Amino acid sequence: MTALTRRDFGKCALAGLTASALAQPAVTPNRSYINGVQFGLQPFCYHDLPMTQENRPTLVKRLVQNGFGMVELHATWCEPRFDAPGVSAEVAREKLRNWRVTTPADYYRNIKKEFDDAGVTIFTYWVGINESYSDAEIDATYEAAKALGAKGAVGSQGLAVSERLAPFTAKHGIFTGLHNHDNLSDPDALSNEASFDKGLAYSPNFKATLDVRHFTAGNGDCIGFLERHHERVSSVHLGDRRKNNGRSAPFGEGDAPIIQILRLIRDNRWTIVALLEFEHGTLRTGVEEVQLMFDYCKRALA
Amino acid sequence: MTVSYYQAVCVAVLVAGSLWAQSAGTPGYDINYIGLPMADPILQHSKEMYVLYGCSYCHGLHLESRGEATDLMHSRLVGRDENANLIGPLLRAGIPQTAKLSPMPQFSDLSDQQISAIAMWIHYARQQGRYKELSGAKDLSAGNAGAGKAYFEGKCSSCHSMPGDWKGDPAALRARILRPKFLDAAESWQVERLRDTKTAAARQRHLALLENYSADDVANLIAYLIGK
Repeated sequence: MTALTRRDFGKCALAGLTASALAQPAVTPNRSYINGVQFGLQPFCYHDLPMTQENRPTLVKRLVQNGFGMVELHATWCEPRFDAPGVSAEVAREKLRNWRVTTPADYYRNIKKEFDDAGVTIFTYWVGINESYSDAEIDATYEAAKALGAKGAVGSQGLAVSERLAPFTAKHGIFTGLHNHDNLSDPDALSNEASFDKGLAYSPNFKATLDVRHFTAGNGDCIGFLERHHERVSSVHLGDRRKNNGRSAPFGEGDAPIIQILRLIRDNRWTIVALLEFEHGTLRTGVEEVQLMFDYCKRALA
Repeated sequence: MTVSYYQAVCVAVLVAGSLWAQSAGTPGYDINYIGLPMADPILQHSKEMYVLYGCSYCHGLHLESRGEATDLMHSRLVGRDENANLIGPLLRAGIPQTAKLSPMPQFSDLSDQQISAIAMWIHYARQQGRYKELSGAKDLSAGNAGAGKAYFEGKCSSCHSMPGDWKGDPAALRARILRPKFLDAAESWQVERLRDTKTAAARQRHLALLENYSADDVANLIAYLIGK
C-alpha cells in the first residue's frame, strides 16, 4: 500500500521528504483527506447557490454536509456587490476598489473563523485580478488572502497580468496560482503546457492550478503535465470534459483521466490538492451532485 | 354539476399536499432551481435538456445574462433562428476562436432531437422574458406613427390587410400586439389539424416578432394604429 496515512501526510507536509515536497504548499489534513489525497471544493459547483456574502453561511453548511474540510474560496463570497440599477459599471468598480483597500484584515479573519469553526480550511483565495486593478488593490487582495489563512491567491489572469503579479507574490509570501481555460486562440491565455511553461517562469512563487477539464478540452495531456510539473502544481481543478473543446460531462463520461490523476497523486505522495469543480448540467441539487462526484473520486482511491 | 363543499376541501387538500411534497424536494430533481414541473411536458423536457447539458450554467435558466456568456435574451442570432436552423450548427461546432476567457464548447454528440429541445427552451424563455421587458416599457405615447406605419407595412401587412378599429387603451393594444389571443390556444396533434399550416405559420411568425420587437417598435405601432 503506497497511500499516506494521516500521520505520514502531516510529517511530509511539515518536514518534507524531498526537495520537491518542500516546494509544495503545506496543508493540514482534515475530513476530506481520503486515502492519500487531500480533497477540497471549488464551490462554483453549487450552481443553485449564488456566490455572495449573504450565502456564505449556507456554503459552510453545505461543505460540511458534503464532507469537505477544504475549500477554494471565491472573492465574491467575501466582498459586497456595488452594482445596482442606476449605478454605472465605472462607479461600481471604483466603490469596490475603495472597499478593498480600506477593509481591515480583521474582516477576513472573522470569515476565516466561520470556516475554522466548521472544520473547513481555506486553501486558496480565488481572485479575478485583471488590468483594472491598482497596485494598492493587488496588495489588498494578497493581504486578504493571508488574513483568510490561504496558501495562495488563484485566478484566471492572462500571462501579461501574471507577469505583473510576480513582485507582489514575492512580497506577500504566498503563492500565486495560474489557472487555465482552453482558449488556444489567445496567446495571452493560460491554456496549454507551453503557456504554463511561460507563466511559471515569471516567478518561483507561481504554481499551476491545473484545471484538468479545460486542459483536456484543449487536447492537453494531464498525466504528462503532472509527471513533468508536479513540483509546481498546487492543486488540480477536478472535473470532466470532452476533447476538442467538448462539453462538460459528469465524472467518468468525458475524456479527463480523473481516476489516473487521483492515483498518480496518491501513489507519488504528492501534496497536490484535488479541488472538485464541475459545470456539467444536472437536474439534481448542487449538494446531491457534488456528493455523487465526490463518491466517484473516493471509489477511485478505495 | 355543482361541486360540493366537501369535494372542494378534498381538492384543496390534495393540491396543497402535492405542492408541499414537491417543495420539500424530490431526490434527483432540484425543484428550487428548475422550478415546478410545467403543465406542458414537451416544454418541461426542453427545459430539462437545457439544464442537463449545462446551458443554464453560463446562459442562465431564464436567459439571465451571466459573466462573459452571450446574452441569449438579446442575441440577434437567436432572434433570427427558426427551429434550430442557426442555433443547431453553432451548438455542434462551438466557438473555439474567441477573445473570451472560456470558449463556447461544442456539443457535436447531441442528437437532432436534443438540439431541437434546447433551442425550443431558449425561444420559450426568450419569449417570456421579452414579453415581460416590453410589457414593462414606460412611455407608450412616445411612438412615431410614421415609423409605426413603415413597420406595419414591412412586417404585418402581408397577413393583416386592414388594421381595423384600434382605438382604445394603449396598454391593452400593446398586450394584443405582443401576444395575440390565438397564441394561447392549445396546439392540436389531430391528423386533420396537422395540415393547418396557416395557423402554425402565424403562430411562429408572431412568436418570432415577440422575440425581436424593440420597445420603440411597439410604441411606434401603437402610435400608428391608434392615430389611424
